[in-house]
Amino acid sequence: MLNIKILGSGCTNCKRLEQIVRKVIENNSLEAEIEKVTDFQEITKWPILSTPGLVVDGKVLSSGRIPSEAEITDWLNK
Amino acid sequence: MAEAFSYINNLLLSGWSSLLDYLAAHVLLCLVPAFVIAGFMGTMIPKETITRYLGPKASKWISYPASALGGFILAVCSCTILPLFAGIWKRGAGLGPAITFLFVGPAINILAITYTGATIGMDIAIARLVLSILFGIVIGLIMAWIFRKEESARETEMEANGLFDQTARVKPAVWVLFLLLVSVLIVGTLQVDIFTNVYASIKLPAGLMGGVGSFLSGMDLTLQGAVLILMLVVIGITSWKGFEKIFEGFTGWTYAALAFIALTILIAAPTEEAGSLAIGINGRLIGEIVLLIAIAVVSRRSFSKDELSGWIWETWKFVKQIFPLLIIGVFAAGIVKVIIPETWVRTIAGQNTIWANLVGVLFGVFMYFPTLVEVPIAKMFLDLGMARGPLLAYLLADPELSLQSILVLNGVMGKKKTAIYVSLVAVFSTLAGYLFGLMLTIFT
Repeated sequence: MLNIKILGSGCTNCKRLEQIVRKVIENNSLEAEIEKVTDFQEITKWPILSTPGLVVDGKVLSSGRIPSEAEITDWLNK
Repeated sequence: MAEAFSYINNLLLSGWSSLLDYLAAHVLLCLVPAFVIAGFMGTMIPKETITRYLGPKASKWISYPASALGGFILAVCSCTILPLFAGIWKRGAGLGPAITFLFVGPAINILAITYTGATIGMDIAIARLVLSILFGIVIGLIMAWIFRKEESARETEMEANGLFDQTARVKPAVWVLFLLLVSVLIVGTLQVDIFTNVYASIKLPAGLMGGVGSFLSGMDLTLQGAVLILMLVVIGITSWKGFEKIFEGFTGWTYAALAFIALTILIAAPTEEAGSLAIGINGRLIGEIVLLIAIAVVSRRSFSKDELSGWIWETWKFVKQIFPLLIIGVFAAGIVKVIIPETWVRTIAGQNTIWANLVGVLFGVFMYFPTLVEVPIAKMFLDLGMARGPLLAYLLADPELSLQSILVLNGVMGKKKTAIYVSLVAVFSTLAGYLFGLMLTIFT
């Protein structure tokens, strides 16, 4: 089971990222839990400089941008 | 009763005429490209191009200017600033450059500067740009000096985290496209002969206009103005259909919206002589046609659909976030202009004194206006007789300090640092306005 964290204080791009991630999970019928990290202190603990950040199983995969659906599919299927 | 009615009518008219001014060609020629450029910088220019100069080992000579530049390139809305601020401070170049970044970001992004230039004047826009960078660096240096002990302790316990070592490759096409976009902005707004000369003129058929013309002039609108407003509505609808779900692919709506945006820039470019039916083909129009074609070609050839979708989404996001608030802000400012007696503004801030500048700053602190709305508010004060010095003081302080942002900063860096930062910004903005006002009186 994948643990996916979406770091971001609730800006539009964080919501967009979450939508894409959910879509990828559904399309590939993956087992995953999505955790939204919105607390600012909590976000700064991760090594990212800008939101939205995408963390899968404790590893930061992207930050400051919205990765494409293909990229995310690739990451989640590993 | 009738009196009250005519008073309200008067208010609404003032709001309406402010809105017309706002939607006028010269403002659209700056705002439409500025939104597109802001979206472009948000997606195409990776943050790593700047952040790698802000690492813990960077020298002061590099980290301070880079923070100031970073504010220009990276930040349009404050929600992206705070994480970066905390990152630069806690894991990177330190408190000083982080403060510089925090200060410069909201004040000098491309939207704020071009919009200030188009509505208030290039003198204020340039003063805002230069002084924000200068003060951002000075305030950063002062903060770093005050907290130097704490800072040196932080440096020793910092571990190498590699966060700032990432570099990103930006393909040359990005810079080409960036230059083209900025040119659209320059050709659209710069008042020089090549662009404003009329080389040919086309007469519209008179029969087309008859009744419509008199109806429009009754509303204080030119034909160009009316078409532009109509275009904005059309863009609004097509963008909603075409951009909202851009990540699911381009549709006919998307292409339609893009075409309408280009068309709007072209409609806004030529001059229209008041009362006549002639359209002047000027250098501006010719320049914009060439540039828009070049942009279309470069985007098609060198960018993938994914990249373009990201760009469109980012731009659309800014527009949705900022534009409605701007419209409301402009309308409200037009109404308030009638309510506030001119004599008040003239007595309090009509002269360039330290006191008047301080009032400008304090007003900026206690009033919270969303991004960019400070500009129409400033325009309102200018119309009411505020001197340009205090006006600049207000424009410098408003995006930096509001009760809301002070509270957030308090949470991030503690009471002591926040208090010192806030006082520094207030003092420097007051001084800046005052000196700018003095310079204006000396040179004119």
